[in-house]
Amino acid sequence: MSVSLDDLGPRAAIFLLNRLAFGPRPGEAQRILDRGLQAYVEEQLAPAADPELDTRLSHLPTLNYPISQVLALYNADQRTTGVILDEFASAKAIRMVHAQNQLQEVLVDFWFNHFNVYIADDFTRQSSPAYERDAIRPHVLGRFRDLLGATAQHPAMLFFLDNYLSTAPRVVGGRLTGLNENYGRELLELHTVGVDAGYTQQDVINSARCFTGWGIDSLRTSGSFVYRGQAHDTAAKSVFGLNLPAGGGRDDGEKLLDYLSTHPATAHHVSSRLVQRLVADDPPVALVARCADTFLHTSGDLAATVKTIVSSAEFWGEAFGPGKPKTPLEFVASALRAADAQVSHGRGVGGVLTNMGMPLYGAVPPTGYTNRGVDWINPSSQLARMNFALDLAAGAVPGVAVDARAVVRSTAGSPEDPRSAANSISADLFGRSLSPDTLNAASRVAPGGTVSVAARVLGLCLASPEMQAR
Amino acid sequence: MPWDISRRVFLRGAGLAALGIGFHPSSLLVRTAEAASAGNKVLVMVFLRGGADGLNLCVPYGDPDYYGLHGQIALPRPNQSGGVANLDGFFGLHPDLTPLKSLFDDGRLALLHAVGNYDLSRSHFDAQDFMETGTPGIRGTSTGWLDRTIALVPGHNVAQAVSFSTQLTRSFLGPQPVLVAQDLATFDLRARGWKPEASTLLQSMYGSRADAIGQVGRDTFSAISILTQSPAVLAPPANGALYPNAVVGSSLRQAAQIIKAGLGTRCIFVNVTGSFDTHANQLEGNTRDYRSLGPALTAFATDLGGLLDDVVLLVATEFGRTAHVNGSAGTDHGSAHCMMVMGGRVRGGKVYGRWPGLSSSQLYQERDLAVTTDFRDAFQEMARAQFGITDSLFPGYTPGPGPGIVG
Repeated sequence: MSVSLDDLGPRAAIFLLNRLAFGPRPGEAQRILDRGLQAYVEEQLAPAADPELDTRLSHLPTLNYPISQVLALYNADQRTTGVILDEFASAKAIRMVHAQNQLQEVLVDFWFNHFNVYIADDFTRQSSPAYERDAIRPHVLGRFRDLLGATAQHPAMLFFLDNYLSTAPRVVGGRLTGLNENYGRELLELHTVGVDAGYTQQDVINSARCFTGWGIDSLRTSGSFVYRGQAHDTAAKSVFGLNLPAGGGRDDGEKLLDYLSTHPATAHHVSSRLVQRLVADDPPVALVARCADTFLHTSGDLAATVKTIVSSAEFWGEAFGPGKPKTPLEFVASALRAADAQVSHGRGVGGVLTNMGMPLYGAVPPTGYTNRGVDWINPSSQLARMNFALDLAAGAVPGVAVDARAVVRSTAGSPEDPRSAANSISADLFGRSLSPDTLNAASRVAPGGTVSVAARVLGLCLASPEMQAR
Repeated sequence: MPWDISRRVFLRGAGLAALGIGFHPSSLLVRTAEAASAGNKVLVMVFLRGGADGLNLCVPYGDPDYYGLHGQIALPRPNQSGGVANLDGFFGLHPDLTPLKSLFDDGRLALLHAVGNYDLSRSHFDAQDFMETGTPGIRGTSTGWLDRTIALVPGHNVAQAVSFSTQLTRSFLGPQPVLVAQDLATFDLRARGWKPEASTLLQSMYGSRADAIGQVGRDTFSAISILTQSPAVLAPPANGALYPNAVVGSSLRQAAQIIKAGLGTRCIFVNVTGSFDTHANQLEGNTRDYRSLGPALTAFATDLGGLLDDVVLLVATEFGRTAHVNGSAGTDHGSAHCMMVMGGRVRGGKVYGRWPGLSSSQLYQERDLAVTTDFRDAFQEMARAQFGITDSLFPGYTPGPGPGIVG
């Protein structure tokens, strides 16, 4: 890397934790400074085992269930789906707050959203946990082609974008069945080359034709991928410059994924989205171009692509700017981490995110949620953020344990002295970036009262303007 | 990159705050009352996200090609089981929108068919963006059409634009103040046991910041002041109106509340997500959505009573869908769609728009209902009727005379 990260000090450590992680926990900035920021980045790019996290997740057994087992439970008792979804949401909250491999969690969130499936769309209720586990998580620091291929044939995606229904046009039992364009279109527009790439309606149709026959074995029992050759459109196809001769089968889809995954427009589209998430709402053009270069020259190595971002002057330049507004998810996760929260389940966290307009796994359109932080700034969301921050510090969020006095003590402040508490929180969690107005306000907390001084000071710091950006 | 300070909310209320009076509710209420007396017309835009199929919303059962094209998802003729509600002998409303039939019959509901965007995009995101900014084919337009509309409405009012949505909608993008809200009744700081202290200290944190986050913090407290000081905002529905238990129901109930409270609201946006993107099993998705949309609209009309004379409500979506049923009992992304327009002064009881026909040669690209009315002509007509706006609201476009539904 061209920038010597270790010279930048606590501010750089806080910045790094705000971008590659879901924000700093008390004492964490100093810990990664002691170890070296360079080393921290390298560790994050090559995740190691995290036994402590595994222990925290061990009371959520359904996370490991194959879809067929989830369906069997559902067939026996429909209410079990509620348990499955509860455990899935709990795991998300626990991972964001407690995982050591924070970058992996940030990227799982990013790529799930890039290849979004909406969790409340019938069969996706039973298949979304498997989708994240099997199609997204293993590949977020691997190869884009693997990620793309895994999403393309995952039953959750096949269902959400209707490809499991798409066949060559024919009459079955007196009813016309045939092509469904949904996946073929979103594959081009959202997943790979992007809406500006210049493809036509005919390309969309031909893209969909490549995947005819890619289906789901049974929505009620196995829920697994199946290729049905008799449903495939075997005529010749041309998609956005790729010509596929007649007589193809399942390979038509694979060849199109090969072609799209190495297309320069895909490199650009994917890089632009990543830079928007990790660097700035308006992605710097030169950085996107360098990222796209890395993507192309490494055949879509996603760790190398992220490394190009983290090594860039544009990335580190952000450490000295006003920051990128947090999405509701980023705000909630970072507040939980700053409060050193112990998360046991996700219902309270999930409810808060719903109030902020960003329910967990709840983006309805295939587009997913916007990565532009500024899109999430409005009074309704702001009020929900302030209320959550105050509730959190007071220990009033279900499923979340917070000890505000311990937080203040761990940042070397005095829990009963509001000015001391505010200053120590500012130093430890904000790199001394809390404004005089914020510090003065937090320092004016009155003694006594039903909510402790430490909880009120911490709550105000978490509700502060500075906490709204990362 | 500084935050986009154009995305302001309650800008003018916050301007008062900068003068040191913004957090004093009574001064804001005085301004509100003044503005309310300057005019009382309201424009409501209900947006169905996903691209609702116009051919099954307002069904051309009299067109010789409809049943062949829509096949297994075609809706039966009037007076048949599950049939459409006959409107004029050619068109019929989706059976689950039958509650709207009486509004149509007494002249308070009109439909505009084959409306859309000549500069077509079949991308959800682009099509929504183009419609809400009113600049088809141009991405990145910095203002929405309702922001430009509200900019031309006289008065300085903190509650003039309200969006019932989870995010600031593109229609309101721009420098004009907007209250984005989901639930007006709970719009208050919680801070159990220390609310006054928390409120004071938080306001001093946000009070003098010049950036967008300072702005939104001040806007939030201004909104709290207004809403908690205006009990009329929480008045129950009038005239026995019954709203369905769905987001569209609660949004329209609150839209009626804020209109009845007389806070000077001029433009309201109601965001509706549902199953409108009916690539598969369209009949089920439409039934689910229309069983809440139809009753929500009728409840809104009932609730407002005579105040409906001041209101024009427009129901729009980003595009229509393919004229052919697809292989999955659904329809894919298409072109022209159908708008609904409701209001006391609407020339209702009629389906407007030139019908382009559904034969193969009449379809756009042999697949979609063709556009015969530019959506901007309809939007401009609504703004002209409500606010007397004659200058074009759409950069680079001179709207035509409009369909003549209102004004």
